[in-house]
Amino acid sequence: MRIAAYLGKRLLRALVLLLGVSVLTFVLAELAPGNFFDDMRLNPQISPKTLAGLRQQHGLDDPLPVRYGHWLRAVARGDLGYSFAYNSPVTPLLAVRARNTLLLAIPAMLIAWALAIPLGVWSASREGRWPDRVTSSATSFLVAVPDLLLALGGLMLAVRTRWFPVGGMEAAGATGTGDLARHLVLPVTILVLSALPLLVRHVRSAMLEVLEAPFIQAARGHGIPRTELLYRHALPAAANPLTSLLGFSIATLLSGSLLVEVIMSWPGLGPLLLEAVLGRDLYVVIGSVMLSTLFLLTGMFAADVLLYTLDPRIRRPS
Amino acid sequence: MRWLIALLVAAHAIVLFAGFFAPYDPAAQNRDFSFASPTRLHLRDAGGKLHLRPFVYALKDSATEAGGYEEDTSRPHRLRFLVTGQGYKLAGVIPSQWHLFGVADEGRVFLLGTDRFGRDQLSRLLYGGQISILAGLLATSFSLLAGALVGCVAGYFGGWPDRALMSGAELFLALPWLYLLLGVRAVLPLHLGPAQAFLLVTSVIGLIGWARPARMVRGIVLSAKERNYVTAARGFGASGPYLLRRHILPETYGVLLTQATLLLPQYILAEVTLSFLGLGIAEPTPSWGNMLGALQEYHVVASYWWMFAPVLLLFPLFLGYFGLAGLLQKRMQTYAN
Amino acid sequence: MGSFNKAKVCKAVVIVCLVLLGSGRSSATAAQPIAAGEEVLTSNAEAGRGGGRIVVALRAEPKTLNPVTSGDQPSREVIHRMIGDLIHINRATQLTEPALAKSWTVSKDGRTYTVHLRRGIRFSDGQPFDADDVVFSFQVYEDEKINSPQRDLLVVGGKPIAARKVDAHTVEFQMAQPYAAAERLFDTVAMLPKHMLEADYRAGKLAQAWGLNSPASSVVGLGPFRLKEYVAGQRVVLERNPYYWKADRKKVRLPYLDEIVFLFVNSEDAQVLRFTAGETDVISRLGPDNFAVLEKDQAARGFRMYDLGPGLEYSFLFFNLNSVLPKNSEGLAQKQKWFQDVRFRQAISAGIDRSGINKLVYRRRGSVLATQVTPAYKNWIDAAVPQPVRSVPKARDLLQRAGFKWASDGRLTDGAGTPVEFSIATSASNAQRTQTATIIQDDLKELGIKVNVVPLDFRSLLDRVYQSHDYEAVVLALGGGDVDPNPQMNVWLSNGSTHLWDLGETKPATPWEAEIDRLMNQQLTTLDARQRKKLYDRVQEIVAEDLPLICLVSPHILVGAKATLGNFQPAILDHYTLWNADELYLKAKP
Repeated sequence: MRIAAYLGKRLLRALVLLLGVSVLTFVLAELAPGNFFDDMRLNPQISPKTLAGLRQQHGLDDPLPVRYGHWLRAVARGDLGYSFAYNSPVTPLLAVRARNTLLLAIPAMLIAWALAIPLGVWSASREGRWPDRVTSSATSFLVAVPDLLLALGGLMLAVRTRWFPVGGMEAAGATGTGDLARHLVLPVTILVLSALPLLVRHVRSAMLEVLEAPFIQAARGHGIPRTELLYRHALPAAANPLTSLLGFSIATLLSGSLLVEVIMSWPGLGPLLLEAVLGRDLYVVIGSVMLSTLFLLTGMFAADVLLYTLDPRIRRPS
Repeated sequence: MRWLIALLVAAHAIVLFAGFFAPYDPAAQNRDFSFASPTRLHLRDAGGKLHLRPFVYALKDSATEAGGYEEDTSRPHRLRFLVTGQGYKLAGVIPSQWHLFGVADEGRVFLLGTDRFGRDQLSRLLYGGQISILAGLLATSFSLLAGALVGCVAGYFGGWPDRALMSGAELFLALPWLYLLLGVRAVLPLHLGPAQAFLLVTSVIGLIGWARPARMVRGIVLSAKERNYVTAARGFGASGPYLLRRHILPETYGVLLTQATLLLPQYILAEVTLSFLGLGIAEPTPSWGNMLGALQEYHVVASYWWMFAPVLLLFPLFLGYFGLAGLLQKRMQTYAN
Repeated sequence: MGSFNKAKVCKAVVIVCLVLLGSGRSSATAAQPIAAGEEVLTSNAEAGRGGGRIVVALRAEPKTLNPVTSGDQPSREVIHRMIGDLIHINRATQLTEPALAKSWTVSKDGRTYTVHLRRGIRFSDGQPFDADDVVFSFQVYEDEKINSPQRDLLVVGGKPIAARKVDAHTVEFQMAQPYAAAERLFDTVAMLPKHMLEADYRAGKLAQAWGLNSPASSVVGLGPFRLKEYVAGQRVVLERNPYYWKADRKKVRLPYLDEIVFLFVNSEDAQVLRFTAGETDVISRLGPDNFAVLEKDQAARGFRMYDLGPGLEYSFLFFNLNSVLPKNSEGLAQKQKWFQDVRFRQAISAGIDRSGINKLVYRRRGSVLATQVTPAYKNWIDAAVPQPVRSVPKARDLLQRAGFKWASDGRLTDGAGTPVEFSIATSASNAQRTQTATIIQDDLKELGIKVNVVPLDFRSLLDRVYQSHDYEAVVLALGGGDVDPNPQMNVWLSNGSTHLWDLGETKPATPWEAEIDRLMNQQLTTLDARQRKKLYDRVQEIVAEDLPLICLVSPHILVGAKATLGNFQPAILDHYTLWNADELYLKAKP
């Protein structure tokens, strides 16, 4: 009963937040002047009457609350609106782009975590000695490189050496996992490199705290071998901060790769959002913002659930 | 810790006194030398003779490569140190004409090459640092100020103001800031000079980021509120504002400082990203962002490697900040323990 | 062990069969033999060989395959390969030539066109084409409820062109007033299949018809190609139209190519990469920087790059001369006093280094402009208008005569002592505009004028120009639709919708604008070419003198194609590379 109440409350808050974001986004969209059909105005062969007709056809002249109301009702039906730029409903558009982003972000997250945990644990277990110092310097170094620079560097590497395809998701006409894999290498590497340092640091610091605990000393005294000690006993105790971090990783799955996607021409959600904001493609903007927020909330919610199930201290009444 | 701070101070000093270290005005165009590669310093001339002082050759259009340049070995120019050149204001205040190095008027020394308009990249790198770092400092200050204010109010009063403010914080954390910024830039009045527009955009970037510092400050205020000496002071009749000022706020300084060292590079990066997308500080003012923005074009990445110049200062600076932040965090942890 | 192997072999055989069958399905449709009584148009191009396919990159996905509602460039690129028009403009000669119409006569007053259609022509689904389709097409294009972007092109003298069926192969067109070069209006007005679209039209759903996901068999047209498949996010494939009504000199039905594949490659840089890698066969409308990169490689990589000279696009700087200004804009109103003085504008024009812009922004692949008429308008450009040369002394002289003075620190001030300073707004997404403005900023510094370059995102910029009129100066570009002054009417008429510097006027604001109005309206209805030229010459002279738009540079049209592409005749009119897609063929490898 308690867990249901706890989770139910979190769910309600998430929904309210989602609604708040949608209202704010709509209002901000209104602030930015111009609408999608504006660039047709530069064509001297299209009359203002035609443009006015087009605007009216798409309901762009209705007052803000009316448009918001329409949109809300449509969302209840599962229809996220219509993209002017792509002349298609927003939902399938977002689905494809989100899939592409996840194709990038999920392997990156898995690889980053798969590397971070052993590295962090190893570095914590040999604190002060050379493995720790090397790892710490490497992470300090990497954390200072913004992913903008990483992406540009990756692009330059691809252009100069031609070992990897320069951007894009697939070669012309070729379909197949081999081709997709080749295109994934560079962007995934960049994302991993940008996420890794912080993850390693957090794992390391969480492990360090746990390794101080008396029960670890006791276990060591009992002669439990080192690997088993680290992974079976210490790591689970460090689960608390790591779970929040995992939640954060999930939360930023969709939004964290925007810059990398733009620079490497990966057809994901990032370039779509940028293009839509610049092109005043209203419903695509709102749809993508909503989707990103949804992921954000899911990530935090997942973290909460995990935390609740894993850490008995939270289950106890405070 | 000490050499890290020294590194940061040195980097900032170079940027602050950019006028001295830079040989040219960052906006000065040399339309005949568009995208010229870095000028080579020579000690040995074309005849094989060794010179004591380094020199450069003047550039002329290449005979073999369309759009390229080659050295005109008939016109060497000696590199001179502590020269008088174009006037500028040191740190924006003191007028001066001294430059660290330069060559005679007809010659040009582009140690880091030139951009499309023939502007010296080294000068632009140094002056650009002023803008980018200033943007970072401003935004960080705004962010911390706003965050600290909100955090204090939320933490001290608790109850529904706390809940309302923290929900607001979550909302702000959820929004994509890029979108907000585009909207802000678009509604700014045009008659604002570039400096004012820039300041405004930076302030907005900073204000948008109040959420995270606010949460941290709130956490600290919440725990500080319950400390014994605070309860004692309250028992003695101390008012809320007094408590905040005298006892609670000082607890936050450590966190705020650490946050500052973390936020500063992030805000510099925010300015860089905005300029990269073409919406930052206006021409002809250089900033690391609009310099890196040139790399968006394939032909630049393919042919003009020297346009990566901003990395030279950006990266060590970030190393310094993050290193400092790490050290500060460690120090705070030892204090807490 | 043995049975296991047999199962594997069976499976392999099945898979191989499926693959073979599958590839068999993708074989090209062969052209229909030419029927007796079919009045085919014979092409003058070099005879080539059939077969093969070319791959072309599109900057964005098309939004629709509906010729009536398409307004964006990528959609038009694909659609125009699938449609036929009555009278077509040959992009190489820039003259009209018969297409679906085999001949036509004009009445003496120039208002009535009687058009004779070719007989025996069939749509891409085999159904016959006749005058009913023509009348239906015009009805659809001109329908106000459909809001076709091409509708306004077909409005002459305030009324849409009236199409009337005379008999099964003759149509009569009536215009409300005589219209110069009326034949050119018929270009790319697609003849639609009444048998496919009438039902949709009656139900009011025609604007939604022929979206990208429509079944290939429903998209029917008279162009050299027809839709084969559309893969969302990746490509559109067109295949040969077996009923296409053109043949080459050897009586082989065109087109030569089996297929055209349009790939969606969303940035010019990515397009360059694919072209270099040989993944695409044609690259169109390159920027000068990428062109330079490709030019270096061309011999080694087996493609040829073409600089076709100036196109119809012209870039310009203009000032806010609107009489209706936003509220609270006293600063702007004061600056307008400078802008409205023609000597100020002339001084600015004299102070701009256009050849510098050409060199740095366009890498010398541009042409310096005196007026909006680029050298591409061979038959229209006024030789009497002098080429603008930068002259700072001339600029200073003009400013002095206009009452400006220079302060002791070099800043320019007006009669009241206010320093002259203004902002130039540009589109942030178009690097060339901002670069142009940066050069202008540096040029005007020499005159003591402080210029602020303000890049805005494009929609905001347009909003300021069209709606709020809240701007001081802007750098923009416009493109001509055709090698004729008429498509640009809305720019030059005082009440025109693209009269950028002063929008929303019903009457001309200045005497010279009144004069331009008179001249443009007159040339619209003058049928004699020489007389029109004289009128338009006068317009150019007024523009060069009064400078509502300070024209800067026209970029050259830069394209490239693989050396193995035969009959490649790039032109400076849209579509630069594929306008003769029906005549393109792949040369045999030596």
